[in-house]
Amino acid sequence: MMPSRLRTETVLWAIGPLFALVAVWLFFFSPKAEIPLGVSRPVAHSDILRGAWRTPLMDARESIVDGIKRPCSECHRLFAPSQAENRTLMQHKEIVLRHGINARCLNCHDGADRDKLVLHNGALVGFDQAPLLCSQCHGTVFRDWQHGVHGKTMGSWDAASGAQRRLACNECHDPHSPAYRPMAPLAGPGTLRMGDQTPHESHAGRRSPLRQWSHGSPAHGDADPSGTSDEDKEDEP
Amino acid sequence: MNIRIWEGRSAGAPKSPQVSRRSFLRSSVALTGGLAAMAAALSPLRELTDEDEFTIQKFLQKHYKEMTPEDMEVALDRIRREVEKRYQVRPDIRDVRAKTGVEFVYALNLSRCIGCRKCVHACVAENNQSRSPEVQYIRVIEMPRGTLDMEQGNHHYERPTVPDANHFYMPVQCHQCANPPCVKVCPVEATWQDADGITVIDYDWCIGCRYCEAACPYWARRFNFTEPSVPKEALNPDMGYLSNRPRPKGVVEKCHFCLHRTREGKLPACLEVCPTGARKFGNVLDPTSEVSQILKTKRVFVLKEEVGTLPRFFYYFDERYPQSIDPEAAAIARSMGIEPRPGEGVPA
Repeated sequence: MMPSRLRTETVLWAIGPLFALVAVWLFFFSPKAEIPLGVSRPVAHSDILRGAWRTPLMDARESIVDGIKRPCSECHRLFAPSQAENRTLMQHKEIVLRHGINARCLNCHDGADRDKLVLHNGALVGFDQAPLLCSQCHGTVFRDWQHGVHGKTMGSWDAASGAQRRLACNECHDPHSPAYRPMAPLAGPGTLRMGDQTPHESHAGRRSPLRQWSHGSPAHGDADPSGTSDEDKEDEP
Repeated sequence: MNIRIWEGRSAGAPKSPQVSRRSFLRSSVALTGGLAAMAAALSPLRELTDEDEFTIQKFLQKHYKEMTPEDMEVALDRIRREVEKRYQVRPDIRDVRAKTGVEFVYALNLSRCIGCRKCVHACVAENNQSRSPEVQYIRVIEMPRGTLDMEQGNHHYERPTVPDANHFYMPVQCHQCANPPCVKVCPVEATWQDADGITVIDYDWCIGCRYCEAACPYWARRFNFTEPSVPKEALNPDMGYLSNRPRPKGVVEKCHFCLHRTREGKLPACLEVCPTGARKFGNVLDPTSEVSQILKTKRVFVLKEEVGTLPRFFYYFDERYPQSIDPEAAAIARSMGIEPRPGEGVPA
């Protein structure tokens, strides 16, 4: 009886601290959950500047040619205006004229007063009055713009606040080449659910619906046979 | 059985242990299990740093709607201290309430969106979203032309330039539904629809169950699986209590129409950065506002109309694509020796 009780006691005193140690270990060293962070591609502050897309020439006196600031009229009074349609420009070589069939300088610029734009009725307006000029051809777009349906508004959503400013045509469009240039997109998403979801073999051959958007996977091609060929097409000029 | 254990204990003299081996083992296992469970429950405390304030006041903070102005001032003070400690930036944080007579509506012109993703990143910068892991409120989906089948959409387009002539681009963010399923499922009322139509979240009240995330048919909500990481120099100090203040780990967040800006009359960040003017925002109760004009005059639709969420986010389009020009005009241009360039002129 006595040796057996002694043995029981010994075992109990050994096991007790062992359990306590397990509890302590759990408190201090319990394994932490592994949370994948995904891939993150930071974007430069200069890529997300707010406001007008471009800074147009609003005042002919601010015109800068070859680094010299002079009013347009100062040079142009020396040269007679040319009515030639697609004359190769000797100056203003940075200007690419891609405005559809509107391919004559003097359709918009006044031949006599180079500091002004000319409307169809012969009236002269300043460079800051571009919407008046554009509206002569782009009537429906101008109507939309007047109501804030086309174009961009800055400042406030509340017209009554007085802080609202509707950007003019040439604050987004280059008047000489008004169509938007294609631009490089910023970094795509690397969020946990939207990150690289390349299908794994371990998925028993079935694809998770969340994994169908991974690039390089055949999923997109399955849904749309032309989908994979788009990438090839776009490299062509 | 338990009684016997306690009997053994109460008899308690070490010389006469009446406790049997079996009952001791049983009670020890129960005790250790209990201790371990408590340790596991307390283990998040190990991750607390000096930057986290753990005060009775924070613990007892009331629900947003039950807070008095004094309560709110105390809470804002606490957040100011926390942000300053963590980011060394004094935030301009305030509780911006909804204005009366205002119902915010967003409209997005699909004909103008070119998929440049500037809105996505301007939103991240404005709203102090986690950079790693990435949390983004706006998803830009590239869709093949001629369909609205979202299954064919692609988030991960990587092209040298956008737009692609064969696709259109559809940004999706929180639609601020008038019948929001996310609000209905919240078990603790941590998210609700405010008077101006914005569905907001009290990050201090959210328990992170993610029911709302599952309920949203637009996949607009994001969960903070880890402590959000925002670089100190990138922190936006212009903060609202219900909008872009730093979020803790384990809460849900989403687009709130930049309410710390819009409730003060400004425009959302995604709109201000959009290079094409595809985004429109305003008060739908004002019949002369831009969004009212759009709803009146443009062909407008909402995403997943059939699920009955009544979104306040409308998509519309113009009569023609800006990337395409009239074939007749193209022919005239060609006769004049002007070749419309692909991407700028007729679709390739």
